[in-house]
Amino acid sequence: MKKIMSLMICIILTFNLTGCWSYHELNDYAVVVGVGIDKAESGNVLLTAQIAKPSALAKDSKGGGSQEKAYWNITNEAETIFSTVRSYTHESPRKLYFQHNKVLIFSREVAEEGVQKYIDFFVRDNETRIITWVLVADKDKPSDILDIERGLEKVPAINIDKLVEAQQYNAETYSMKLLPFLQRLMSKTTAPVAPLIEISGEGEEQKIVISGSAVFKKGKLVGQLNKTETRGLLWVDGEVKSGIIVVECPDGEGKVDLEIMEASSTVTPEIKDGNISIKIEIKEQSNLGSQSCAENLATSEILKLGEKNASAIRNEITASVEKAQKLNADVFGFGEAVQRKYPGQWKELESKWDDIFPNIQVEIEVDAELYGTGKIGEPAHPDEE
Amino acid sequence: MFQYIKKVLKHLKNKKTNDEDSAPQSSQLSLSLDLNSNLDTLRKIFSISSDIVIREFAFGQKPQIHAALIYVDGLVDKATINQSIIKPLMYDSRTICSEETHKENIDHIKTTLLSVGEVKQITSINKLVDGCMSGDTILLINGFDEALVMSTRAWETRGVQEPQTENVVRGPREGFSETLRINTSLLRRKIKNPDLILETMKIGNRTKTDVCIAYLNSIVNPALIDEIKRRLNRINTDAILESGYIEQFIEDAPYSIFATVANSEKPDVVAAKILEGRAAIFIDGTPFVLTVPMLFVESFQTSEDYYSRTFFSSIIRILRYVSYMITILTPGVYVAVLAYHPELIPTPLMFTLMASEEGLPFPLFLELFVMVLVFDILREAGVRLPRPVGQAVSIVGALVIGEAAVAAGIVSDFTVIVIAITAVSSFVIPAQTDSASMLRYILLILGGVMGGYGIIIGLICALVHLATLRSFGTPYLSPLAPLVRRDLKDTFIRVPIWGMATRPEDIGAQESKRQSSGLKPTPPPEEENQTRS
Repeated sequence: MKKIMSLMICIILTFNLTGCWSYHELNDYAVVVGVGIDKAESGNVLLTAQIAKPSALAKDSKGGGSQEKAYWNITNEAETIFSTVRSYTHESPRKLYFQHNKVLIFSREVAEEGVQKYIDFFVRDNETRIITWVLVADKDKPSDILDIERGLEKVPAINIDKLVEAQQYNAETYSMKLLPFLQRLMSKTTAPVAPLIEISGEGEEQKIVISGSAVFKKGKLVGQLNKTETRGLLWVDGEVKSGIIVVECPDGEGKVDLEIMEASSTVTPEIKDGNISIKIEIKEQSNLGSQSCAENLATSEILKLGEKNASAIRNEITASVEKAQKLNADVFGFGEAVQRKYPGQWKELESKWDDIFPNIQVEIEVDAELYGTGKIGEPAHPDEE
Repeated sequence: MFQYIKKVLKHLKNKKTNDEDSAPQSSQLSLSLDLNSNLDTLRKIFSISSDIVIREFAFGQKPQIHAALIYVDGLVDKATINQSIIKPLMYDSRTICSEETHKENIDHIKTTLLSVGEVKQITSINKLVDGCMSGDTILLINGFDEALVMSTRAWETRGVQEPQTENVVRGPREGFSETLRINTSLLRRKIKNPDLILETMKIGNRTKTDVCIAYLNSIVNPALIDEIKRRLNRINTDAILESGYIEQFIEDAPYSIFATVANSEKPDVVAAKILEGRAAIFIDGTPFVLTVPMLFVESFQTSEDYYSRTFFSSIIRILRYVSYMITILTPGVYVAVLAYHPELIPTPLMFTLMASEEGLPFPLFLELFVMVLVFDILREAGVRLPRPVGQAVSIVGALVIGEAAVAAGIVSDFTVIVIAITAVSSFVIPAQTDSASMLRYILLILGGVMGGYGIIIGLICALVHLATLRSFGTPYLSPLAPLVRRDLKDTFIRVPIWGMATRPEDIGAQESKRQSSGLKPTPPPEEENQTRS
C-alpha cells in the first residue's frame, strides 16, 4: 500500500517537471516564416515579420487558387528586438510563432553597425530556431525583399529559403545557418560570412537574387566576396558539394564543363622560425559534364583536363585568400587551425592575429581527378573524317 | 489509515475462509435396495421438471423384476435407449436369462444384456443425478443398491463450422463448437497420440460445467499442470458459462489491461500451442479454448504465419507490430505534436494542418477524444446489432462522421484520417484490441495534458507494467525480456519451419527439441545427379 502511494506521489510530482507547459491550438498561432531586421530613423529596431496565411496556402479542394496574398508582412519598431516582437500583439490577434522561421535578413545598415546586439534574441529565446538562414540585404531594405512575390512559392520567405538551399548545387554561395554564424561570431579570430541578397530588375520583372557573400569582422560588415572568391572559401572549408568548373579544351577550340562530384580539404598550419604558413590540400573528383569542342577527350587527353581543373581550383582559392587578407578577415578559420595545432604558442599569437593574418604564406595543393565522361565517351559531334 | 485498511482487509479475508469452511457438506446419499424408495428420492430431487423422464418397467420371467429408466429428454439418444437398453431387457432377457442369474448379479445384466458402449455402476445418488443431468441414462433395478449409468449422450449441436473470429486465407477452416467432446475430438484428430492427456473436472456448484485440461504429457512442464489444477480447484463458484469465467478466476494479473490467458477458436492453433509445451483448457459450452501460459508476442502471431512462406509472413508480422504502435499512439501523438510541439511538423505540413484546423470551434484534444469515443461506439453498435442493421449503422456512421462532420466544420479532415488509421490498425491485432483501446485512451489523455512528455511517460509505464507481468510463471515479455536469443526466430520474424528446431524456452517444456536440425531442403548430392542424367 505504501509502495503504491509513494509511486502515485512520484507520478504526480513528475507532472511538475515539464518545461513547456503550454497547450496551444494551432490556430492560436501566427506562423512567422521570415524576419527582416532594419534600423529605423529614430535609431530603434525596425522588425519586419512575415506571417504565412495557411488558408491561402492550403490546397483548395473547390478548385481555383485564391487571389489574396499568402502572407502578411507587419513591421514594427521598438527599442530592442524582444520588445519589438512583443509589440506585435497590438497588431496581430494571434501570438507570433517563430519556430518555423526560415530566414533572418539583416539590412546593410544593421550589418555595418554590428549584428551581435540583434542576433542575441534569436539564439536565446526558446521559440526561435538555430537552423534559420542568415542573410544580408545588399542594397535594399529587408522589408522590400520580403515583399517580392515571384517564382514558384507564394510566400517570399519560403522562396528565399528554397533559393538558399539550392545554392549547394553551384557552390558559389556560402549558405549560413544561425548556429554556425553564431559560432563564427563568438570566435575571436574567425570571421562570419553570410550570403548577400538583393532585388534585381524593375517593376514586374523584379526578382530576388543572391549576389555574393558578406564578410563580417567583430560582428560588423567589412566587405564582400564575389562568387569566385566565395567558391574559394568553400573549397578551403570543404563545403563544396557540387558545382561546375569551366576550363578550356586541350586544343583550345572550345570549353569543357567539369561537374564537381566530391571534394574534401585539409588545412595544416605550420610554424617555422616564427613564421606561420598554411598548407591547404584539396582533393577533388569531377566528371566530364559537357564539352563544346570536337576532340575526343575520353583518351589520355583527360589528364590534361585534370591539370586545368586543378589550376582553376587553385586560382579560386588564391583569389579568396588574397581578398580575405586584404579585408583582414579570417573567414577560413586559420586562427583556430593554428590554435588546435599549437595551443601553447597560440596565447601570444592570438592578440597579434590581426597583424599576422594578412601576411600568412598560403601553400595550395590540389589533387584533382577526372574519373568519368558521363553516359557517352566520344563527343556528341559529327565525325570529321 | 493504512493500518486500518489492512485490518479491514484481513477481516474480510478471514470471513471468506470461514464461509468456505461453513459451506454445507453435501450429504452423501446412497441408494437403497428398494426401487420405490429410490424413485421417491429421485422424484424429490427432480421435483416437477418436465424434461425428466422416468420409465418404469419390468423384465425377466416370473418373478418379474421391476426396474426404472431415468433420463433427461433432449439430452439422450432415444434410439439407443429403445434399441440397446429397453429392448434387450424386455424381450431378450426372457429367452436368454434364467431366473437366478440376474437376481444374483447386476454385473450379469451389464455384461450380457446392455448393448451400450459405456456403462458404470454407481451407488451415490449425487453422482447419479450428475450423470443424468449430463445426458446419461440411469437404470435402477429393484433389489439392488447399485444403479447402472449408461452413456447415451446425444443432443442438438451446432456442429463444426468456420469460426467467426480468426479468419484465414490458408489453413484449416474448422472451428470449435459449444460441445466439449466435439472440441476435444477435433484436437485429438490433430494430435493422434496417447501422449495427449485430456483431464476432465467439473467446476461450478450449480452448472457443473465440464472443464478439460489438455496437454502433451512428455512435453509439458509438470509444474504448469500442477499450477493449473491448483488454480482451477480453488474456483468455488455457482456457474461457469464461458471460458471467460475461468479465465478471470485463474489469470495472473486481474487488474492489468493485458490478458495473461490466451484463447482461440481453432483446433490447429490450440494444437500448435500444446505442441509448444502449453496447456489448453477446454470448457463445455463455448468454442473459445484457453491456452496458458500466454506471451505478449503471441498476440502478434497467427496460424497463417506458419502456413505461408517465411518472407511474407515475416513482413506481415512486422506490420502487425507497427499497426499496434499506430493504433495506440496515433491520436495521442497527433494531439501532443499539434498542441505542444508544432515545431516538429515540417513547414508545408504545418500550413496544411493549420488550414484544416482554421475556424474549428473545439479544442483539438476534445475533437480527438470525442472522435475516438464515437469510433468505439460505432464499433460496439456494429458488433451488437443484428447483421443487416449493423451494416446500416456503419454506413450512417461513416457518412455522418466522415463527410458531414467535416463539411459542417466541426471536425478537421485530418482528425478523421487519424481516427480512420487508428481504427483500421486496431483490427490487425485481434488478441490485443481491448488493451490497445485502453492504452489509446490513456495515451490520448496523457498526450493532451502533457504533450510528448506525457506520451513518453505513458509508454514507459506501460512497458514497466508489461515487464512485471507473468503468465503461469512465464515472463510476459519473453523472449524479449528476458532476452532469449534462440526464440527470436519466431518473434518479429518467422524463420522457416525447418529452422525452428527448438520449442520456446521460457514456456519450460521438458523436451525442448522439436525436430532434428539440418532439415533445410537441399538439392541431392552431385554424383546422384550425374547418374540420373
